[in-house]
Amino acid sequence: MQTTRRGFLKGVGAAGAVGILGAPAVVRAQARPGVPSDPVKIGVLAARAGITAPVGAAGLRGTEWWRDRVNASGGILGRRVELLVEEETNPKDTVERYRKLVLQEKVDVVVGGISTGVTLALGPAVEELDTPWLAWDGTTQKGVEETLLRPKWAFRSVDNEVEAIVGAILTAKYFKGIKTVIGLGNDYSYGHDCWQSYQAALKRYMPDVQFVQGLFTKLGTTDFTSHVATIQQSKADLLMCSFWSGDAPIVMKQAAAAGLFKSMKGVFTTAGGVHDALKKEFTPEGLLLGYNSMYFEDPKGSPLLKQFVREYQAKHKEYPAYESDHAYFCVESYKAAVEKAYAQSRQWPSKEQVVKALEGIEVESLSGKRAWREDHIMMCNFYQGITTHKNPYDFATIAPVEVVSTRQAMKPAGAKLFDWIAGWKI
Amino acid sequence: MSTLPGGAGRWVLAAALVAALLVPHVAPTYHVLLMLPFMAYGVILLGLNLLFGYTGLVSFGHALFVGLGAYAGAVLTGLLGVRHMELILLAAAAGAALVAAAVGALCVRYVKIYFGMLTLAFGMVFYTFLLKFYRFTGGDEGMPVLRPALLGWPLSAMPKTDYLAGPYYYYSLAVLVLAGVLMWRIVHSPFGLCLRTIRDNPLKAEALGIGVTRYRWWAFLISAVYAGVGGALLGPPTGNVDPTLAYWTHSGNIVFMTLLGGFAHFFGPLVGAFAFIYLQDWVMSVFPYWRLVFGAILAALVIAAPGGLMGLATRWTRGGARAEAGPR
Amino acid sequence: MVFGVQRIFNLACGSFYALGAYAGVSAVEWFLRAGGPPGLFVVPLIVAGVAAGALGLVVERGLLRFVYDRDETFQLLLTFALVLMLEDLVRMTWGTAPRSTGGLYLSYGQVRILGATVPVYNLLVIAASVAIALGIGWLLTRTAFGRIIRATADNREMAEALGVDMRTVYAKVFTLGTALGTLGGALVIPATAAMSEMGIELIVEAFAVVVIGGLGSMRGAFVGALIVGVLRALAIAVYQELEMLLIYAIVIAVLVLRPRGLFGGSAA
Repeated sequence: MQTTRRGFLKGVGAAGAVGILGAPAVVRAQARPGVPSDPVKIGVLAARAGITAPVGAAGLRGTEWWRDRVNASGGILGRRVELLVEEETNPKDTVERYRKLVLQEKVDVVVGGISTGVTLALGPAVEELDTPWLAWDGTTQKGVEETLLRPKWAFRSVDNEVEAIVGAILTAKYFKGIKTVIGLGNDYSYGHDCWQSYQAALKRYMPDVQFVQGLFTKLGTTDFTSHVATIQQSKADLLMCSFWSGDAPIVMKQAAAAGLFKSMKGVFTTAGGVHDALKKEFTPEGLLLGYNSMYFEDPKGSPLLKQFVREYQAKHKEYPAYESDHAYFCVESYKAAVEKAYAQSRQWPSKEQVVKALEGIEVESLSGKRAWREDHIMMCNFYQGITTHKNPYDFATIAPVEVVSTRQAMKPAGAKLFDWIAGWKI
Repeated sequence: MSTLPGGAGRWVLAAALVAALLVPHVAPTYHVLLMLPFMAYGVILLGLNLLFGYTGLVSFGHALFVGLGAYAGAVLTGLLGVRHMELILLAAAAGAALVAAAVGALCVRYVKIYFGMLTLAFGMVFYTFLLKFYRFTGGDEGMPVLRPALLGWPLSAMPKTDYLAGPYYYYSLAVLVLAGVLMWRIVHSPFGLCLRTIRDNPLKAEALGIGVTRYRWWAFLISAVYAGVGGALLGPPTGNVDPTLAYWTHSGNIVFMTLLGGFAHFFGPLVGAFAFIYLQDWVMSVFPYWRLVFGAILAALVIAAPGGLMGLATRWTRGGARAEAGPR
Repeated sequence: MVFGVQRIFNLACGSFYALGAYAGVSAVEWFLRAGGPPGLFVVPLIVAGVAAGALGLVVERGLLRFVYDRDETFQLLLTFALVLMLEDLVRMTWGTAPRSTGGLYLSYGQVRILGATVPVYNLLVIAASVAIALGIGWLLTRTAFGRIIRATADNREMAEALGVDMRTVYAKVFTLGTALGTLGGALVIPATAAMSEMGIELIVEAFAVVVIGGLGSMRGAFVGALIVGVLRALAIAVYQELEMLLIYAIVIAVLVLRPRGLFGGSAA
């Protein structure tokens, strides 16, 4: 908690003055000057149904865990935190929910948003309503390079392609002998973007690799037998798969049934999002598996992470995935920004001041340090590694754990993705 | 042919119109913005009810035309640089008419279940097309819709929220009123009378020399044009159009709204759109399992009150009229 | 079957399939926790799949029977209401995370057929569906109940005039139809997973199968499913962009050229 001595003394002074004047004794944590007494309202857009529901749940739970901790230690500058949760559904309805949160509920900030269609629609709507929005996920180049070039109010997550790029970098490290690669992804922007970026990045390290084919399946498909057969017949050396949701364990199962990975290597860039569904029975060792920006068993993990994982597992009977940390970082950075702005002005900051304070801010999130870059894009670490069965669970984990920072794997502000990859010095 | 609804209805209508005109001045901004989809759906449902209430055909694929109209706005403003709302509405209407001419020709040869299924299939074809051909349509991310100029005024200096809660609101209201007046004339014309005859007794209609299929085709066409225009109105407030606008559950919701308001009454669909939007807005914030509530409401409607809200109102005031027969 | 006898196109059949899937997962989990041998996991699976079909009776008695005398489209709308309600009920009971039986289905091993490795479980499912199809066929042709079903499908008024109790027939047919759906969901789940909104996704495919095969025909459903399945596999292997579009194109073609489908009864 960033309580300066001066702030504390001021608080004591104010409390003392109230006591002397005999004002009604409302016992509150710390009444500070310039800080309203009513709760600070944070709007949350969480997906509850469909393919993004599990990820949305992870995000919401991470946010609620943060809220409980913060309220237990006095809130933000003494103000209790109140979450107003609306559902993220399709772009049109979610924009309406967002407008409700800002115009009707008058929240101070909105967090959330996962699916790319929704975040693309939200961006311009956010810019009109003069309220900061900290997105959990769903950042495509279309948004970054085209529709929302220099947002004032919108803060967006890491680029969608980062884990594919990290996957390519690590493919070059761990699978040196491969000659051919086949790709499998979801048939929408994320799947296509990952495949494109993976190819571009891998080509820089291994220029002779041939990319046999890219297979794309509709989100929500549950039968991959034909795809697995096609992949097997291609006789490629390596399969790159960017599935991030329920379909990842299914394809893993069906691939195991066909004995796919007996002869083929595998890179699953994002399947760590459903890591506890990747049971040992059908998830072989030796695959490259990505956990996006949080690995629950990080050997170098902080006490904060360990506590979060422990309490999450106890409450929800599952192990948390990366979206929890995206969500935690959004609200934690908001709190830090408010405190930073308050330290300068001695007033609860206006929304503009919060935005200014957010730019460049770095906080301790669950998985380590994260920051908001000056162009409002998130900076963090990515965790990928080789699957192993040497653990006390019934699902696979990774060892060793490679940590790649967005400083290395994400294009800098203002750059064009593929130009940047082409310009790498290898 | 009546030019206005009679008696008490006239006063209610006038009051509603006055209220609608005053809303941007008295209501909080959020509620003003909530009226925008209501007006868009109002137009869509006026068209759908021509097919449902007056001709007896229930389309489970009307979201196709809604999506078509919405994407017309995106294509015009985003790709072609055309920013005039009038041209967008025209393009939406024309596009819907073209597609409906072809689709309708196929669908109106069948009735009831088969009609519903065929329309559902076509709706999903369009959805799949929007999703798969992402190089043209943007796929799941959809396409942005830029702020259109209204009656020639670009109004680009205005903040978007003021634009939406002000000029765009009145523009949509005007479109809704015009659409309503036009539909009123249509249903009270000989054409409308023929449709009702066809709905009630197709064999007799045929015997009377009314080309059943042809009339149904026209009804389909007109309802599609309305859906397209309504869809075009939906685009600018969101600023983005995406394939879910054409998904079959969206078609289902549109039919739900019509049923909710009461398909047996001219103004039923408008009541239904209004009720649905406000109900959804309220329930979604309060209860995470709002789909359960809505499903239960729809089930209750179908079982106990198929005449919808208007049906309940007339039953109340007049003490019982046949609910399912459709408008007289 | 439900359409053939009751003339109801049940939009919620996908939701029943989903229900069977989730119920199957829970049953297997319970079975394993209670100490049952993993090799016998198909037993609780099948039991759950069939038991979940009991919901069909609840739905039929509690909701559907009120609308039998109404226009078909109202019935369709009621099944849409069911879709919405079941979606949330499933979510309330099982949550939003995908549920599966893990790698159990691999425990039966694999075989090599025609150069491809196929899990034995898959063969079991194929055998089961053939057995069920034959079973239904036997039910329809050799039992009194089956004769009644066919008679009612052909001519409802006549059947009623001959003394058939419509209420019981409808209740039984709908429950049977639901049970088939839930059983199907349960059987498939070990190879895949139960996910949120799977019912809504499935209805479109189910619809394609039934239209191509012919509404109301059991043989048609079987053949339709084969056609759709094979077409999809072919499309994926050859030109995957076309996968779903090809199926819709065929649905529309069938509806236009031969609305009865390959084996169906009368059209409009």
